[in-house]
Amino acid sequence: MGAYGGQALTPELLYILGTLATWVGWVLTFKAASATFRYLFKSPGVNLSDLQRGMVLNGLGAGALLLLGALIPKELGRTVDAAGARFPLVWVLMPWSGWAAVACAGFAILRAFQTFTAITSEEQRKKLIGVPIWLVLCAYFWWLTAQQPGTVSVFRGGIPMSLNVALGIVALAIATLAAMAWISRKTTSRGYGKTVASHAALLIGSLIFGVPFAWLVVTSFKEDKDIANATALHWTPYITVMDKYEDPDEPNFQGKFQNSVVEGSIIAKLPDGRVRIDINKPMAMRGTTFEAFPIELKQVPKEVPEVTGTYNSKPVKGIAIKEMEDGSRKVLIQSPPDLKGTVYTALAKDVENVRKVGLRWQNFTDALDYLPPDTQKGLVYLKNTMILVVMSVIGTVVSCTLVAYAFSRMQFYGQNFLFLVLLSTMMLPGAVTMLPGFLVFRTLGWIDTLYPLWVPSFFAGAFNVFLLRQFFGSIPMELEDAAKIDGCTYLGTLWSVMVPQIKPALAAISIFTAMGAWNNFFGPLIFISSPDKMPVAYAVQLYNSSRGGEPGLLMAFTTMSIIPVVLLFFLAQRYFIEGVTLSGLGGR
Amino acid sequence: MHSMARRCCRWLLLLPLLLGSMSVGWTAPERQNIVVWGVGLGPDTKGDEARIRAFEKKFPQYRVKVLSMGAGAMDPQKLMTAIVGRVPPDVIYQDRFTVSDWASRGAFRALDDLIARDAPTDPSTPTPDKYYPAPWNEASYGGKVYAIPDGSDDRVLYYNTKVFAENADKLRAAGLDPDRPPRTWSEVLAYSKVLTKFRKDGTLERAGFIPNYGNSWLYLYAFQNNSSFLTPDGRTCTLYSEPAEEALKFMIAGYDILGGYAEAQKFQSAQRGNADDPFIIGNVAMKIDGDWIISSLARYGPNLEFKTVPAPVPDDRYYKRGRFKDEKDQFITWIGGFSYAIPAGARNVEGAWEFMKYVASEDGYRIAMAAQRSWEARRGRILVPKIMARKSFNEMNLNDFAPKDPRFADALRTHVSMMPFARIRPATPVAQMLWDQHVRAIEFACLKNLSPKDALKQGQDVVNRELDEIYSADKYPVVDLKVPAIIGTMGAVIGIVLFVAGYKRQRIGLLGRTEARWAYLFLTPWLVGFFVFTLGPMLASLFFSFTQYNVLSDARWVGVKNYQELFHDEQGLLKKAFLNVLYLGGIGIPLGLITGLAIALLLNQAVRGMRYYRTAFYLPSIVPTVATAVLWIFILNADPNRGLINGIWHSTIQAWFGTPPPGWLSVEQWAKPSILLMGLWGAGGGMILWLAGLKSIPTTLYEAANIDGANPRQAFWNITLPQLTPLIFFNTVMGLIGSLQTFEVAYVITGGNGAGPSDSLLTPVYHLFRNGFAYFKMGYASALAWVIFFIALALTATQLLLAKKWVHTEGKL
Repeated sequence: MGAYGGQALTPELLYILGTLATWVGWVLTFKAASATFRYLFKSPGVNLSDLQRGMVLNGLGAGALLLLGALIPKELGRTVDAAGARFPLVWVLMPWSGWAAVACAGFAILRAFQTFTAITSEEQRKKLIGVPIWLVLCAYFWWLTAQQPGTVSVFRGGIPMSLNVALGIVALAIATLAAMAWISRKTTSRGYGKTVASHAALLIGSLIFGVPFAWLVVTSFKEDKDIANATALHWTPYITVMDKYEDPDEPNFQGKFQNSVVEGSIIAKLPDGRVRIDINKPMAMRGTTFEAFPIELKQVPKEVPEVTGTYNSKPVKGIAIKEMEDGSRKVLIQSPPDLKGTVYTALAKDVENVRKVGLRWQNFTDALDYLPPDTQKGLVYLKNTMILVVMSVIGTVVSCTLVAYAFSRMQFYGQNFLFLVLLSTMMLPGAVTMLPGFLVFRTLGWIDTLYPLWVPSFFAGAFNVFLLRQFFGSIPMELEDAAKIDGCTYLGTLWSVMVPQIKPALAAISIFTAMGAWNNFFGPLIFISSPDKMPVAYAVQLYNSSRGGEPGLLMAFTTMSIIPVVLLFFLAQRYFIEGVTLSGLGGR
Repeated sequence: MHSMARRCCRWLLLLPLLLGSMSVGWTAPERQNIVVWGVGLGPDTKGDEARIRAFEKKFPQYRVKVLSMGAGAMDPQKLMTAIVGRVPPDVIYQDRFTVSDWASRGAFRALDDLIARDAPTDPSTPTPDKYYPAPWNEASYGGKVYAIPDGSDDRVLYYNTKVFAENADKLRAAGLDPDRPPRTWSEVLAYSKVLTKFRKDGTLERAGFIPNYGNSWLYLYAFQNNSSFLTPDGRTCTLYSEPAEEALKFMIAGYDILGGYAEAQKFQSAQRGNADDPFIIGNVAMKIDGDWIISSLARYGPNLEFKTVPAPVPDDRYYKRGRFKDEKDQFITWIGGFSYAIPAGARNVEGAWEFMKYVASEDGYRIAMAAQRSWEARRGRILVPKIMARKSFNEMNLNDFAPKDPRFADALRTHVSMMPFARIRPATPVAQMLWDQHVRAIEFACLKNLSPKDALKQGQDVVNRELDEIYSADKYPVVDLKVPAIIGTMGAVIGIVLFVAGYKRQRIGLLGRTEARWAYLFLTPWLVGFFVFTLGPMLASLFFSFTQYNVLSDARWVGVKNYQELFHDEQGLLKKAFLNVLYLGGIGIPLGLITGLAIALLLNQAVRGMRYYRTAFYLPSIVPTVATAVLWIFILNADPNRGLINGIWHSTIQAWFGTPPPGWLSVEQWAKPSILLMGLWGAGGGMILWLAGLKSIPTTLYEAANIDGANPRQAFWNITLPQLTPLIFFNTVMGLIGSLQTFEVAYVITGGNGAGPSDSLLTPVYHLFRNGFAYFKMGYASALAWVIFFIALALTATQLLLAKKWVHTEGKL
């Protein structure tokens, strides 16, 4: 218990001070190095004695502070053991409130400093007010932190110092210093530095944004065992090498069953001359049997994996022609030549599939094969979504144009009041009308149909009306008046004069409506229960919940579900960008 | 004589029907569909498929349509919506313990009449004597049978004899016999203590016994301790009782040995499946699990050395002392399982019943098992039958379909032998809720967020409130829903009349009137939509919020009870839900704004490559939310070998600083930041907007600033930002309303079950959805909807008021 006015100087505080000292020490080290660098390479127009002073002072300060930081007792802090020299790193581990307290304290100090340096008295007063506010905040946050005892600790670790790391750090330091010097020189002259820096930031940023996409695509080409049961992350997709094999004992036949081409082997001959076939391809139908006349079948070779193993303690290459009940596999040896044609049985763990870098396109076909039979391999999902998209777009465009035109160009009783009502519905959370809305559709007998998902769009959404009204407002009145003088009706004017003028806005609205319809998840979740009426967005979630154990297939299906959206974006990029700009809203 | 006359009458009555059906048969020889939900057709259900085909062959008039995805037992919300929406399936494969739940709400059809009709003539008709009593009772409610039990999984203790043998010395040193399994609670803890192994860094390497790993839950331990979660009359929930608390304390003690619940969860989530299953590779020495795992042990653990015994029981029960002095059964197990039921309003009841009878018949079962066995053999696997609720099926399993390997056959026998000692979860209208609350209690108590007693009591209160509501419904008056509908329509008519009157009173010329009439015509779509889809539903939901209404039965007027429940009884939950969205909005919106703006500022400088960058940053924002969530769930997987982020973390941050990667979606503290991260990925949408905003700032402003000697930083703070404030304002308002309604992400991540770890993903709309569409508690959900509405209103109003202080309007907002 130290006696600082009755208050104990908590070890935590000691740690934080020590940490701060270390950090500042590092900054000073960097400054000293920078001064040295500039001293050695003598930039023009720099006072050499200033640099000398910088080198010495910063170096001394750095040494002192780092030493101070190193004095933090190790017991309470968390350390990471690593043998040998390390590139030391110190960090305070505390909850966010602790950091908020530190930041507030920093601001308080800053304001106090600014008060002293302020020129006018008014500015001084302004800055001075900040000090107590920040201090109070600091105290509050510190109190919050103190509520959770034992949460503050110091982390002391480091990057183990191997030769590579050391070289890397040195290289990085030199590169950074050089880049800084170069940029500072160029910025002052031509402003290149800024361009280079922002391009670098943008490039890195766009790569980071692209990584999840890349991961999605790569994963959808991987074999499941590289994803679900992997022992390490890797980016390269591998596939098992398959070979064709004519099995003399169990010939493979191709036939048609339920409108799809299937392969399988004959497991029984029926008295009526037909044979029973056990399907083994496509995957989704494996194990199903069907009957057919032999004349309807065609013999085709089997696809079997290439494997490596050992036979009589000799390494061999071959193909695995059969999987046995106990998990062992029958291998037909292909090389070395002297053993070619030998068949032996090996335990599963003693044979390895031969694999090569490649894309497993089968994930995509399998993903579709596993869909319920009513969905025609997912085409029904697509059809349903297309219905939703087309109908919603038509509905929105027609109804919103009419309503917006009335609000912007026509005079009628109750105009302002109705417009206010329209605007306020924009702020209304959908949750309020959800349940009774369901009952409305139930009364209509529309549950488990697509109607509840697109019919409402024929009743003009507030946001789009608002947007179009703004647009109509920007069209000169003269055009309309001319049409009216020529004897056009209101509908005629709207159609022949106004609509051509607002085409970009309509395009934007169409695109966002289409995106909304494509993405709509809540609607199908509530209204649809039959697979043959589900749209794509909901099918993705179903796939996720029912086949989450096969990530390769799931990712392939997800990829397929977003391809149309991405295509739409590339085809109509201009309207997208314009649309966002017009609507004043982000994509979602 | 009497019966003779009745039979004649019946024939007479049937005659026209018969003729009618024949004529129908002549004109349209169409097969009737039997729509079955919850039975999946896949590689593991080839037996089911064969049985369905056999059924169709036997009854050619029927065609069975099986739906497995998104429908059926896994998603109660879909089933409820379908029943309420009058489009139910004909047969539903339903988790048995929830049957009473559904039956009590009138969602299932009672089967007694069908059983009574067919039992005398058709020997295959399922009758109680053919089943174990426990599963049969589980499928009944209020004295009526609502479902026909199918499988009946019971739980026993699996233990890895190899791990036992390897640690024999240590076990002996602790005074334990390595050659026999633990039989009591204190023994299992003692064994666990010896067999649990930690790595150097303090993480678990091998768990001796994880209390809730495999499948045991609190139910098993509570049953063993003779506690039941419901009073015999079914009207009061007794989730909390001393025996139950004792059972929960036993679980906590079990977790303490492993270094706490969180540590055990982390250990579990890092384990892999199949051949690397922790029990198979000896990372878990003992576990309580159901019979379904035998087949995966048989497939992936060809060398596994294990044995099965009845699950350890409380010491007093084992030694028959204290409370258990007169207890007959030394060991206890609990069963669950599925069953076939017919939802209310099914269109093809006869077909459904015929199908159910066939599925429950010995012929059907034999066909299914034979087909499954030959399929398993063809793909190189061994068939391990499941324990069934029908006694004769289990005999068939042991005699004809048992695996040859004695290890698995023995395990099967242990399971069958425990069936007579099975307990069931009580059949009650609140079965699902009781289950959910019991899961919550386990989690809260084991994480030590609450004492076992408080955790159980909290759950008990929730369930009891629901029970009260069900059993006290009679005391509230029934309201005729026509009345508010008529009042509403009258209100609308009066409104229109007033409006028309106002219109007539206007002094405008003919031209003006024509224009106005055209205008009203143009407005019709919106006006109709406003009344039918906005104002009408709004008022209806206000009305519903004062009632108790589940659509299937009468609405009852309960006054402010729903609000009282929200603000008083479930205050904690409500607060949590709103705090969650406040977290998401309060951090997510500024974060999104800043990220978008930062990218836009950078992009505004770089002229070349603009199109590329813009596309790269914008593209993620157009990916559908569901796809985004699915992708990110995958990327945020906690296992460094699977999750991209943790994989990178593992090889950089952890390798350098030793900080282990966070558990993201599986951990309370990281679940919401994970969602923020997903949202940040879509920040490019905002970027385009900022870009447009930046471009629209007049350059003259910057030129003037330049002349005044302002540096870029000053120009940003004094010109760029103020000019952008209207945009910022608009996006904040819409963003707040949007984040208040966060739903899809939470739904996809949780898969519609639970609300994330410690309710960390519970959002108001998600809560509303579950109450509204899974339980159809229209009243409660409507009240919640109005609370959401008022909060949205308050937030928007506050922002509008504050806007004057900071939004730079230049005349017009």
